[in-house]
Amino acid sequence: MKSKSPVLLKALLLSTSLFNKYKYCKDKKKKGKIAGGCIAYFFLYAMLVFYAFATCVGYGRLGIIETVPGICALTISLLSFLFTFFKTNGYLFNFKEYDMLMALPFSPSTVAACKFSYMYIKSLPMYLVISLSVMAGYGMYAKPGFMTYPLWILLSLFVPVIPMLIAAFIGFLITKVSAGFKLKKLVQTILTFVFVIFCFSLRFMIEGIFRNDKVEDVLTAAAEGIDKACGIYLPAGWFTAAVTKSSLSDSLLLVGISLVLFELVFLIVGKNYRQINSALSSHDASGDYHMTSQKAGSVVNAVAFKEFRRMMGSTNYLVNVGMGVILAAIFGIVVLIFGFENVIQKVTQNAPLDGEMLIPAIPFIIYFFIGMMSTAACSPSLEGKNYWIVQSLPIDKKVLYRGKMLFNMYLTLPFSVFSTLCLCISAHVSPVGTVLALVLGIALCAFSTAWGCVCGIRFIKLEWENEIEVIKQGKATMIYMFPNMFINMGLIVLMVVLGKMLDHNLLTAGMILIVTLLAALSYLRAMSLAKKS
Amino acid sequence: MENTAPILSIKGYGKTYGEGKRAADNVSLTVERGDIFGFIGHNGAGKSTTIRAVVGVLDFTEGEILIDGHSVKNDPMACKRITAYIPDNPDLYDNLTGIQYLNFIADVFGIGASEREASFRKYADMFEITESLGDLIGSYSHGMKQKVALVSALIHKPKLMVLDEPFVGLDPKAAFTLKEIMHEMCKEGSAVFFSTHVLDVAEKLCNKVAIIKKGRIIASGTMEELTEGRSLEEVFLEGVDEK
Repeated sequence: MKSKSPVLLKALLLSTSLFNKYKYCKDKKKKGKIAGGCIAYFFLYAMLVFYAFATCVGYGRLGIIETVPGICALTISLLSFLFTFFKTNGYLFNFKEYDMLMALPFSPSTVAACKFSYMYIKSLPMYLVISLSVMAGYGMYAKPGFMTYPLWILLSLFVPVIPMLIAAFIGFLITKVSAGFKLKKLVQTILTFVFVIFCFSLRFMIEGIFRNDKVEDVLTAAAEGIDKACGIYLPAGWFTAAVTKSSLSDSLLLVGISLVLFELVFLIVGKNYRQINSALSSHDASGDYHMTSQKAGSVVNAVAFKEFRRMMGSTNYLVNVGMGVILAAIFGIVVLIFGFENVIQKVTQNAPLDGEMLIPAIPFIIYFFIGMMSTAACSPSLEGKNYWIVQSLPIDKKVLYRGKMLFNMYLTLPFSVFSTLCLCISAHVSPVGTVLALVLGIALCAFSTAWGCVCGIRFIKLEWENEIEVIKQGKATMIYMFPNMFINMGLIVLMVVLGKMLDHNLLTAGMILIVTLLAALSYLRAMSLAKKS
Repeated sequence: MENTAPILSIKGYGKTYGEGKRAADNVSLTVERGDIFGFIGHNGAGKSTTIRAVVGVLDFTEGEILIDGHSVKNDPMACKRITAYIPDNPDLYDNLTGIQYLNFIADVFGIGASEREASFRKYADMFEITESLGDLIGSYSHGMKQKVALVSALIHKPKLMVLDEPFVGLDPKAAFTLKEIMHEMCKEGSAVFFSTHVLDVAEKLCNKVAIIKKGRIIASGTMEELTEGRSLEEVFLEGVDEK
């Protein structure tokens, strides 16, 4: 059945190909949207090329260009690992056409391997854009021999494979373990959270290992840090050795281990594939409900509750929208235990900052986590094929979106208040300052909700094959998330700078006014879009 | 030597969900070549659970399911090569055109170019979807999707066709065409095993019927044996209302 893999892979790729959709779509409006999407991708790739190349120029001018291949391999490995890990449930398991594919004469390992290869091919352009841009920059400054280029190009195809396989295998283990429980989705979500938090902690543990060396020169430290990382993560080391020393043995190691690991992973996954998917698709039904007294509620609350159930029913959704609030709560507890000053020193890597300087930025620090994702940004698209339900009901669209916004407020507000309080207590902020910080936190939650809703309605996408397409890769999510994150980081810096010149309470009060105004404007825009939708 | 094994044999099949909820309990039935076998029961009685196990989609530990003598558990590929399955709500690839999807299925079954073209023409014309095959599946109605799924199921000439609620969403003409195709298939030695809620259809179309209630087969046999002069509706209601 191996020979059937190309057939399945081709169908999978064709089924999500924008070119195919454009070619056969007869709706001009939809064609315009597809073309717009392609232009957006072009700009995204252009930004990546610029960023990757500019990084090389920077390293070249600093005289540490030899570290660039290692950085390139590590960056691609990290990105491919994270992207694959979050996509495993949804692409590899629990996908909607499972019944159709498994009823065809494909072996489970063929289906799993094709699904993985599909993920690989779809994400490869991004990794190649990064790698080839870095190669151009490296070529300019390091002036390597001719063999570097063909080897770099060839091995760029293999660099993401091992981290993707590791991520897929971890995803498989989590899914396999959770499939054995009655509350599968909850167990899967908890295990995913635990793993992600472990990965975050790992960053600090590894950093601690590097810090033990007393390296005085910052540039040498960076170069040695990359060398050490390549020593720990061997495939990055093989890539570096292959392209810098034209080492055939390292090239063969990278290619060989990637291929062997691929076969091995899908041999194991294939053996458990049907059992896991059967468990995931089976729903425990007790069938022993007895009618009890019911409660009537408002429409807005009913929509908010529906959103809550939607979130609890999907591991992907829960992990993506829950990660920020959980991290905020953990951060708050960590700060309360270890002290504001100590945590800040650790996170900012001993930058010349003291706790006092960061006090006015506390609500924005918390918002960095809380505002990572807004349920209002992806919930309109998540209606998907169920959209007819709300469309056919006598609900004003404004009420529907108010309900969706209310749910995001229910989700973020308690965590924002809790974490802000933890930080304020630990940083010994005055009672007035604490109240103002709490109010600013609430205003930020309102802004995140309303802005998320604007993005969600403006870039609604109801036709999707897999919910990951709208949760992780949707235009609405991207347009909500990235400006929000970058502007917030800028605001943290701005608050620190302004905090040196102005009274902290006055500054926070001013920010409350600005953020409230922005939230109100976003809300009005969301309502206007809802009316038109 | 000709294979004389039943085309589908389910022996003591059982499936338990979660904490002991029995979705299928000791299900046993046999479908012979030439049979149009109706599988009827209430919503949630265990029809889809059984059907999904038959077509190798759902994992199971209790009992044995054989298709043309091959075990679904131990030799699933041999079973799938001779089976066609259409779920109650076929999820096809929305961004493929109808013809791209049919070609995908034909490639999977290794059907040659001229043979597939003839099959596509025959069945697409019968279901009157030929003109729409160049459009994206996403633009099709539910019934159109079901017709594409039906054409894709027929092109490899399956020995066993398994259908979950096949008449839901089909227009009257397409429903009639499907019944004709079922008869034609059975005349040629294939068999059809399908679930339905429409008892009139089952009574007129099937030569054998099984009634499932709370995961257990409560009645099974030829239509004559089961009804004994009464209507299938009466037999069904009598069976499912019994405590």
